[in-house]
Amino acid sequence: MAQDTIDFDLPIEADHVARFAAAVGAEQDPIFSDPQAAQELGLPGPVAPPTFGVTQIFHVPRGERESRLGANLDYGRVLHGEQEFLIKRLPLVGETLRGEMRIAKDFTKEGKRGGSMRFVTYETRFTDADGDEVMTALYTLIETAKDVG
Amino acid sequence: MSESRVDTGRVFPKRLTMDGVTPGMEFDEVVFGPLRREDFVRYAEASGDDNPIHQNEEYARSQGAPTVFAMGMLNAGFLATALAGWIGGAQNIKRLKTRFTNRVWAGDEVACSGRVVAIEDGLVKVTVEARRRGPGPEPLNLEKEQTAIVGEADVEVPA
Repeated sequence: MAQDTIDFDLPIEADHVARFAAAVGAEQDPIFSDPQAAQELGLPGPVAPPTFGVTQIFHVPRGERESRLGANLDYGRVLHGEQEFLIKRLPLVGETLRGEMRIAKDFTKEGKRGGSMRFVTYETRFTDADGDEVMTALYTLIETAKDVG
Repeated sequence: MSESRVDTGRVFPKRLTMDGVTPGMEFDEVVFGPLRREDFVRYAEASGDDNPIHQNEEYARSQGAPTVFAMGMLNAGFLATALAGWIGGAQNIKRLKTRFTNRVWAGDEVACSGRVVAIEDGLVKVTVEARRRGPGPEPLNLEKEQTAIVGEADVEVPA
């Protein structure tokens, strides 16, 4: 039975942050690993990169997202169309964020070359231990028409 | 083992204050790559995106792609790294929106560019773009350069 939201924990671990930063070419930036460098910028400690929120996939895999939120997408014709992060502050290494995922938008529009495209946006709101908002990730998938590609 | 092939001189963020920001200013291009299949594997392990279309040649071909290609979010991650370098550090990024327009292939470079479009209510509004640059997979006969991501960001730069 589909439900409206999925709640999960996103731990921000030092080793994971370092591997993610290296994978996106940011291994030279000390803000992701060096407490002193982070403090010089006024941060309590090292932080995760702005796009680190995508690692939520470890905690909410596609199958679970599909069965529990019920978008019923045909992944043979699904593209990642758009991604947006609204950031109050970057996640701190050592904290665990609470994620709450839901479908924020689901609409269909006619494509320029005929055939309709469906846009589904998954919104995940991340909060900290005090319940304060840290960031929101908007993950938009496009399901192309059956006769395309 | 360090195997950075990025332009590290630019991704180490320099301090920036509002005095240094004017509408219309363009940031210096930052180039990542050329990308290798190992970069896709490394990002898969770090991000959790283990879709085989980015790692398994046979699977990619079964899905109509001539070979594996980069995850959109890997390219967006490069773009965020470039942006952080331009605007005084990742901690200044308050919003980043990316739209994926073309695939990036092994052997391609990812060239990131950005421009200040406005300053509104203390927020610096930036447009960003990532372009793939390279030969591309042979059967596709691609242009040498194509837009891979168009995006926009809101940045808070200290006074």
